[in-house]
Amino acid sequence: MAKLQRGEGEGGDLEKLRKGIAESYDESTGAWEELFGEYIHRGFYDTPSAAPGAAPLTALDHRRAQLRMIDEALAFAGVSEDPEKKPKKILDVGCGIGGDTLCLAKKYGAQCIGINLSPVQVKRAQELAQAEGLADKVSFEEADALNQPFPDGQFDLVWSLESGEHMPDKEKFFSEMARVAAPGATIILVTWCHRDLSPDEESLRPDEMKLLNKISDAHLLPAWCSAADYASFAKSLKLEDIRRADWSENVAPFWSAAVQSGMTWRGIISLLKSGWKTIKTALAVSLLIEGYNKKVIKYNIITCRKPK
Amino acid sequence: MRLLTHNMLSSNIRGVVNGFPLGIEAEKVVEREVELSAEFLRGVFPKIEWGALVAGARALGHPDLLPGEADASMLASDDFLRRFHRALLQLHVEEGALVCPETGRRFPINKGIPNMLLHEDEV
Repeated sequence: MAKLQRGEGEGGDLEKLRKGIAESYDESTGAWEELFGEYIHRGFYDTPSAAPGAAPLTALDHRRAQLRMIDEALAFAGVSEDPEKKPKKILDVGCGIGGDTLCLAKKYGAQCIGINLSPVQVKRAQELAQAEGLADKVSFEEADALNQPFPDGQFDLVWSLESGEHMPDKEKFFSEMARVAAPGATIILVTWCHRDLSPDEESLRPDEMKLLNKISDAHLLPAWCSAADYASFAKSLKLEDIRRADWSENVAPFWSAAVQSGMTWRGIISLLKSGWKTIKTALAVSLLIEGYNKKVIKYNIITCRKPK
Repeated sequence: MRLLTHNMLSSNIRGVVNGFPLGIEAEKVVEREVELSAEFLRGVFPKIEWGALVAGARALGHPDLLPGEADASMLASDDFLRRFHRALLQLHVEEGALVCPETGRRFPINKGIPNMLLHEDEV
């Protein structure tokens, strides 16, 4: 089994890391929302993304792709829309400003909870829920994905879309999701991972580790593991129907959205207003792109089911 | 925070065996009307811990709102549905705290949002 790779961001204590993540999102959430709307994750695109000579993707294309990401993840995991079988209680782990939480509430008419470290984002999520008339179905709490404030077996669907990157202990994170999942529930995890190691490798190459450490430091990403590692956590937790896929190519077009938005006057002003941490994060996008191009980091989906 | 949410939260402080239900210290409670959906109430009823809901309603200043015990047959009554709906969805704790039943540790509620983050020595 591959060893967990630790980025440079890790090493401080838990509260310092959580505070750093919370503050970073507190600070940047306004800019992100202005640039990309309420979905704080990538979009899903067909590959190859565009025929030569095709018009560049618009903001609306990217937004549609973000919504598509949600649908693709649900379809991949085989979540049923059948009124008897569809999820009735859903947890969004690392819920941002509730974009996905609200989307899932609407889609399934389910009761949804979102958890997040960032008080500013939780407050914003509540506002959005209120504005959409979903405040009776959806609620948000400041809570830690690694120590979730729920009794065992609560949720029919446990959802984590691009929040796993921030978890300092991947195994604990995954086991908490499994713990709060009800018998028969589906767990969906979509997250950046480092590439799978080959059987004769014990760790990533030194040049790959160097890049990963630089990325981690810039983004408050304290640890990395591979999709294979997540699959093996699932196996050791006796979860069933473990599926995974590499969606790196399907999210590639979103880089241009990120860079384009950053380069507009609106984008630049938004970033400058947010503060230094946000600017640093934005500049670090180039590091992510480098990691992506060198195939050190991959965008993965891992799903499984809790036995009945 | 509504009692619907309270019904789903527990204290997971290390060493705590039964962290549910959390006590409620309600400093500011607000009632907001929201449309009643019998379908939603009937759907959610089997998942509700009734004792915790009754205790919650009491803590929020409505000791007589709900019967001490309930079963699904009561969902046929409009009066019961109204009371259930009011307790579950209309009463909001804006300021106060949730309290671990074993350790007494307070989880603050500010502007309606509970902060369930554990300290490092609690995990």
